[in-house]
Amino acid sequence: MISHHLLTLLVFLPSLGALLILAVRKSDALARLVALGFAVAELVLSGYFFTLDTVHTLYPAPAGFFQYENVHWIDFFGIRYTLGMDGISLLMVALTAFITVIGVGVSWQGIKERVPLHFALLLLMESGILGVFLALDLFLFYLFWEVMLIPMFFLIGIWGHGRRIYSAVKFFLYTFLGSLLMLVAIITIFLMHGAQSGTYSFALVDLIGTKVPYDVGLWLFAAFLLAFAIKFPLFPLHTWLPDAHTDAPTAGSVILASLLLKTGAYGLVRFGYPLFPDAARAFTPLIYAAAVFGISYGAWIAFAQKDMKRLVAYSSVSHMGFVALGIAAWSPIALSGAILQMVNHGVTTGALFALVGMLDERTHSREIDTYGGVWGKVPALSFFFLLFCMASAGLPGLNNFVGEFLVLIGTFKVAPLPAGFAFLGMVLTLVYTVRLVQEILFGKERKPLVMHDLSLREGGILAVLAVGAVYLGVSPSPLLELVKGPVALLVGVK
Amino acid sequence: METIAIPAINLAPIMPEIILSCIAMLLLLVNVFVPSESKGYLGVLSLVGLVATAASVVSGWGQPVAAFGGAVQLDNFAVFFKLIFICSAALAILISDKYVVREEINHGELYPLILFATVGMMLMACGMDLMVIFLGLEVLSISLYVLAGFNRGSLKSNEAGLKYFLLGAFSTGFLLYGMALTYGATGSTKIGNIAGFVATNPQVATNSLFVVGMLLIAVGFSFKTAAAPFHMWTPDVYEGAPTPITAFMSAGPKAAAFAAFIRVMIVAFPTLKHDWTDLLWILAVLTMTVGNIIALSQDNIKRMLAYSSIAHAGYALVGFTACNPEGVAGILFYMLSYTFMNIGAFAVIVLIGKKGEANGNVQDFAGLGQKRPLLAAILCVFLFSLAGIPPTAGFVGKFYLFSAAIKSGYIWLAIIGVLNSAASVYYYLRVMVYMYFKPSEEDFDWVGMTPAIAVCLLLCVATTLVLGVVPGTVLELAQKAVQF
Amino acid sequence: MLALNNYLILSAILFSIGTIGVLVRRNAIVIFMCIELMLNAVNLTLISFSHYLGSIDGQVFVFFIMTVAAAEAAVGLALMIAFYKNRESIDVEDVNMLKL
Repeated sequence: MISHHLLTLLVFLPSLGALLILAVRKSDALARLVALGFAVAELVLSGYFFTLDTVHTLYPAPAGFFQYENVHWIDFFGIRYTLGMDGISLLMVALTAFITVIGVGVSWQGIKERVPLHFALLLLMESGILGVFLALDLFLFYLFWEVMLIPMFFLIGIWGHGRRIYSAVKFFLYTFLGSLLMLVAIITIFLMHGAQSGTYSFALVDLIGTKVPYDVGLWLFAAFLLAFAIKFPLFPLHTWLPDAHTDAPTAGSVILASLLLKTGAYGLVRFGYPLFPDAARAFTPLIYAAAVFGISYGAWIAFAQKDMKRLVAYSSVSHMGFVALGIAAWSPIALSGAILQMVNHGVTTGALFALVGMLDERTHSREIDTYGGVWGKVPALSFFFLLFCMASAGLPGLNNFVGEFLVLIGTFKVAPLPAGFAFLGMVLTLVYTVRLVQEILFGKERKPLVMHDLSLREGGILAVLAVGAVYLGVSPSPLLELVKGPVALLVGVK
Repeated sequence: METIAIPAINLAPIMPEIILSCIAMLLLLVNVFVPSESKGYLGVLSLVGLVATAASVVSGWGQPVAAFGGAVQLDNFAVFFKLIFICSAALAILISDKYVVREEINHGELYPLILFATVGMMLMACGMDLMVIFLGLEVLSISLYVLAGFNRGSLKSNEAGLKYFLLGAFSTGFLLYGMALTYGATGSTKIGNIAGFVATNPQVATNSLFVVGMLLIAVGFSFKTAAAPFHMWTPDVYEGAPTPITAFMSAGPKAAAFAAFIRVMIVAFPTLKHDWTDLLWILAVLTMTVGNIIALSQDNIKRMLAYSSIAHAGYALVGFTACNPEGVAGILFYMLSYTFMNIGAFAVIVLIGKKGEANGNVQDFAGLGQKRPLLAAILCVFLFSLAGIPPTAGFVGKFYLFSAAIKSGYIWLAIIGVLNSAASVYYYLRVMVYMYFKPSEEDFDWVGMTPAIAVCLLLCVATTLVLGVVPGTVLELAQKAVQF
Repeated sequence: MLALNNYLILSAILFSIGTIGVLVRRNAIVIFMCIELMLNAVNLTLISFSHYLGSIDGQVFVFFIMTVAAAEAAVGLALMIAFYKNRESIDVEDVNMLKL
């Protein structure tokens, strides 16, 4: 029985953990252990899916999905509880589980007050994000999409720093507003489908074939695009990101950058493009422009930042521009590259935020001015810092290079001009990365700093991330194989 | 001796009202003999009475029964609304015990008044004659005037009562004049007959008497549902009235006004839909927007919830504008879920408040998240539901209403509705910001939980979450209720 | 008997006088008297319609309205007395503690 409902278990296991933590909230240490236990269990469970080679479902699954659950829920509206996993979602799920473990590890020492609540919120976030990646019913997707915001709001507001209240509220309102317009679009296409076919349903597979008049389709796709573009973030809807990232606690930043941003991209790939292929084609030039501009703009502004975290935040804007570029190109290579880049960015930026957090814990400062000559003091930490900065810059052999390379090749075939501009953006990436490395790791120390090198826990986290980065950079083919089928199905839709 | 032939009167449709009135009158009697420490038992008695009434109401589901020559009709629509009223009265009584003890109000008469108000509401829901609706409305309103001014020692309460009375009586005048003109134009006060007249004589829509009458009725009901621009009384009255009464006022009477409004507009004037849906469109947009915008700047939490209730009336008006079965069923579902989430929020406010209605500002909630996490979490559920964030009943309600609007073709109305929802999130989040993000030395030791409030909170949270996750059954009930 | 229009115009005038009175006057008791005037204007309308249409519904309605108006008067005056006890004034300008 359980084996047919593995997806539900996957989505709700972390919530169970969160409830457990809240129930035993007297002891901080216990809370941490329970959180770690559930996060690792989730990771193992998601790893299990990699080993499946046949379709395991009780319910007839749509093409490409090898895990599928479909149960009646709110029949009144035609809403069904539908979860499905294909190659793309599996990658995202694995990334989520992995980053949550990292998130738990990173905040092990750093969070001193209201510890159980913090870890419970991390696990709740995981549930929400997994729900987003697995939902195949538009209503259920929207539900998880909104639910995701709640734990992050509390994470930023309670344990953040700087203007945390402002950033938390801004984050929530900005994203909420975007998704509300998506809700109107969802309802509209639901009603259209119902009027055309007689059956009212929110299931993605049912709604895909709906004939939408061209101009209405443009508006509907625009509403979807707005919601996803805010999450990406695509220029110019990125203004919530620097504040939210900078003022969030370390685990919050890691999850925000590595996972939340990917939900926007995933949504566009899974829902936006398949539902409105014609409108998507019409919007492609706009997305190209926003993506390319975002790549360069993000890099440009990152270069001028004095706060380490803000710099990495703007670098996220820049990197996600590549993902957007690959999606907009909508060719098999470009799309595979974009999806791979989603995973890569998750690993790299997660690691960078973790590193910044570690430096912050030691010196209580995120200003670049404070640092200098760190290499001599903490060689291990500096090694990882250099590694991940190089990964972020797109050094061949490390993960980001593969993703960006695929995206550029794929895009160049269909749209050489944006690809060309994006390539220039890569140069700018190098500029701020080198600046960051140079000012923090090398050079003279500006203030006398006392730092201890990596602890076992920190070293473990960074080592695991590094292994991931190198593996993804050297041997990405298994992952590419995994997404090949779904990508072909998606692109064939266009 | 000649026996007088008494015409057969079918009392079954108004049995709930009869039961409740008798119990209320009994309570008035008992109140005289009960010493003031045991007045709490009156609350228990009134709850028992409400349960008995609910049982009698539920028995009317399924087959419509009319009485008094068609002046009263107990159909599914009436049953659904009556249950909402009974719930709001019961919840208000549950949270009033702690409040009246704290404010030292002699509350023996509070419970009968709430019950009488409920009788008035129930009459409004099942009335099929303008006279009966007027009667129900007046019984409700007069009880509410007294209830609003119940705390005689408090200046704010006096002022709330007086303001409500003057403005309420003023609007009743308009409503009555509208009813009189409609009667003159169509020849009858029975809603069924009016509908028949309008159907057979469509040119009545150009009769100025009729149009003015319809407009005045709309104005009168807009006042009662606190739709802009007739909402000015709501914040002052809600802020000044005792908190449990505010909770009651925000839920039950609003629903009752909608029930009567729906009956009159949709049953009596269905063929003139295209005439007044434009008017309703403007009303809905104004109400939502005014409510949300002014709520953004409020510090006093009761005032903030008052403006939010104006905004929620606006969302319900969106369903009204849609004027299709989904829209009306959406209003029913929304009123039900709104009752529970709003009274739940007020229950928490009663707990946090101090004597003399002190401690009523948003800032006074600072630190609640740490010191009383369960209470703060419960309030969060209600606030998320009011804001329309899944997976709560508020979200499903808004979803249903906006779907109905889009189905009727009012896309822009739905868009304005969701934009307003987004704006409203700001002031609901503000409370959460204070609860969780702001530090405070307050340790909230005066916040004592009573069994009554615990039951109320439990019921409200359970309903809000259950209706958010599995609303199917209630949605079907609402749909069945509008098939008249 | 006069034509229906005359009665209607008279009641409309009475209703307007009542409305203006409510909006303009400052003494709460006078405001309430104006509200009573409005209700009586409605009564007049109903009776004249009832006579013109030959239906008794209007007159029945008037009975209900008169009863309700009496109850309202009792309650309203009691509220005014309660207010007066605390504020020593019935002037609605003094009803100002609750601000927008």
